[in-house]
Amino acid sequence: MVFLRSEEHLARWLDANGWEPGATLGASKLNDLSRDWWGSRLDVGWRPRPAAESQAILDRLELVGEFWSYG
Amino acid sequence: MDAFDLDVRRHVYFSVVANGRPPTTVETAGAFDLPEPEIAAAYRRLHDAHALVLFPDTTDVWMANPFCFAPTAHSVAAGGRTWTGTCAWDALGIPAALHCDGRIESACACCSEPVALEVTDGELVEGDDLLVHILLPARRWWEDIGFT
Repeated sequence: MVFLRSEEHLARWLDANGWEPGATLGASKLNDLSRDWWGSRLDVGWRPRPAAESQAILDRLELVGEFWSYG
Repeated sequence: MDAFDLDVRRHVYFSVVANGRPPTTVETAGAFDLPEPEIAAAYRRLHDAHALVLFPDTTDVWMANPFCFAPTAHSVAAGGRTWTGTCAWDALGIPAALHCDGRIESACACCSEPVALEVTDGELVEGDDLLVHILLPARRWWEDIGFT
């Protein structure tokens, strides 16, 4: 998961590596996701998060569809 | 994951925050007053459960996500230390996990030009023009977490 400066740089990077496109987010969206995904990581009572809860985080941020299917 | 493994995992994470690095199995064995092989076995179980990531064929911690203990392009200043994020997501995850502001210095994956992001009060206040690309679909993230 990498940072890129623009759509043009993304296209060039994919082409240079011969990779199929995955999913592209704005950095603000990723920050929202990071807050929800990692915010409890240092909680004293941390427990492994069930896949359904991870999926719910993605769903809440409207990261939906086959690409974002976690299970 | 049983209570013992959760205790070991908590010790690893709290040591990371306190010391800026993960404890070795010998150090954790000392903290728990247990033989090192018992702690090494717990580290391996935590790795298998995706609660830690060990360097291949070792019991050395590579990632206590979002914190990473190998060089990457993502440097994160947060909570009075400079950390390393495994990837873009983990880099933003460090201030999120620490519940503090943070500044990420990274590079465009295409041109290697420096990029910077700043998180204040949980919001991205610099770098919101940047894009993030995720190559693999969610169900494949743990196939090769180093690549993901």
